Amino acid sequence: MTELDFARIFQALPSPFMILDRELCYVAANPAYEAVVGTPFAQLQGQNLFSLFPNEGEAGVRLRQSFERVLATGEPDTLAYINYPITEADGTVTNRYWTAVHVPLTGPDGTVQHVMQNTVDVTELVRMREATTLPYGSISAATRLIERTRETEASSAEFRRLFQQAPAFVAVLSGPNHVFTFTSDSYTKLIGGRDVIGQTVAQALPEVIDQGFIEVLDKVYREGHVHAAEGARVMLENEPGRPAEETFLDFSYNPIRDGAGNITGVFVQGMDRTESVRAVRRQRLMIDELNHRVKNTLATVQSIASQTLRNTSDFAQARRALEARIMALSNAHTMLSDRHWRDAEVGNLVHQELSAFGDEQVDYGGPTLMVNAKTTVALALVLHEMAANAARHGALSVPEGNLSVKWRRDGEGQLVVDWVERNGPTPTEPVRQGFGARLLRMVVTGELGGGLDLNYDQDGLRAQVLIPAAAYAEQEARFD
Amino acid sequence: MTSAGRRVFVVEDEALVLINLEDILEQLGWNVAAQAMRLSEAEQLATSVEAIDVAILDVNLGGARVFPVAQILRERGVPILFATGYGRDGLPPEWDDHAVIVKPYSQTEVEQALDRLLGASV
Repeated sequence: MTELDFARIFQALPSPFMILDRELCYVAANPAYEAVVGTPFAQLQGQNLFSLFPNEGEAGVRLRQSFERVLATGEPDTLAYINYPITEADGTVTNRYWTAVHVPLTGPDGTVQHVMQNTVDVTELVRMREATTLPYGSISAATRLIERTRETEASSAEFRRLFQQAPAFVAVLSGPNHVFTFTSDSYTKLIGGRDVIGQTVAQALPEVIDQGFIEVLDKVYREGHVHAAEGARVMLENEPGRPAEETFLDFSYNPIRDGAGNITGVFVQGMDRTESVRAVRRQRLMIDELNHRVKNTLATVQSIASQTLRNTSDFAQARRALEARIMALSNAHTMLSDRHWRDAEVGNLVHQELSAFGDEQVDYGGPTLMVNAKTTVALALVLHEMAANAARHGALSVPEGNLSVKWRRDGEGQLVVDWVERNGPTPTEPVRQGFGARLLRMVVTGELGGGLDLNYDQDGLRAQVLIPAAAYAEQEARFD
Repeated sequence: MTSAGRRVFVVEDEALVLINLEDILEQLGWNVAAQAMRLSEAEQLATSVEAIDVAILDVNLGGARVFPVAQILRERGVPILFATGYGRDGLPPEWDDHAVIVKPYSQTEVEQALDRLLGASV
């Protein structure tokens, strides 16, 4: 086997090569390099690269850092793209672009003693890129390869920044145990600001272990398929020290492969959909609630109509009664609507029914007391029936009759309404058995779980209505 | 099918709707064996009232759901007819194979729903 003369090969290489020592002084350069820098090796030898070709700009800094990396780590380093002006022999300065590969040369003790640089002039490429009219196909395959490398390096930092700040969340997991090697800001926010780099998913996010996600990651890592989920429910500790909260995510796990096609990790990306899922849910609940209320109101009106028209022979009277009942219901709804369907004041409900009668006949009063929506509707209907009954058959049906309505809250918090009719006609049987009396009993004792005391005295009805605090003060469970 | 003298258990939290339902059932010849307007009362009656042939249950009782009552009745083997403003969509999966009437309902709808339910349960 012929022994190869490496020094001769070095000299013959068509691509520029040079070698620096640890002080970055020239120890070797081939003719191709001499041609590029326009300086014979004799003038380079022993000289410091940066003394000879000073460069305080960004390119100089990058070049120096690359050499330092190689010297420190013993690993080759590539600058895919560097702008470095060269002074020609005639003194003219040309701006040239390079791809530089720096390779460590180790001494017998294994330490890096020299750095070898190989540069490729890519100025042609840059100029061609500037001449946008030129078809891309005219660039040589080698140049294209370099171009791709250049783009990769230049964009890698840019991509990292983009991923870091992306509104979608991104994480990179490495190895079969899914060790976090990268998390975007939004991912970090999603997991409550926890620093998870270097930890496995199981260590970093213990709350997901029982939710099956690690098994899915194992499968993606093992089998190489993509796992995608929409609106997946995940319990995550998204605030430090707080219990896990329901979170909805669109996400995918994509296998990461190396050049040989082996899976080396899993790329996690997705969007936090929690807010929009909640908004859709709220809207759904509101529509359901509205529908429920409308249907219930219609059922109430249906009942009022059928009760009013039942067994009636006087249709003109029935029509007036029906209108008045529906108006009472409607007025209660208006009062509630004004207060976001939360509550209404007892005084307003009483006033609504009795204000049409003169002060000389009707006397009413009590403290300001709020009642919930259910009680408002119930009380409005009850007061309407009692007032209508008083006007048709009771104390308000004769000029000398009068009515007193007083309300208060007793020691147990119950709402007490005292309804006393005086100087009216003696109540008759239909009044005791009619719809009004039936509704009163059903609403007060049934719906509101309260107490009702009805006395049909000689000169009119004397009634006491008791509504427990639990019935009128508690707000019904609301959506949201 | 004759409903004369048969016993129905009714749960409905709105007084007016209950009055209307009572009237409908009376017209159809049913005997309202018991009625409840609140959940606790309904649970207690669902356990204690004897010989119930069918139950008509309003789903939403002032924010509470009637399903604990339905559970008691199902264990007793009582056929259940749900009444709700939400329709079948308002029933959770566990109950959505049960009979439903949507509020507001007519006398004919109640009659047909009960006929179907009791016809099917024989």
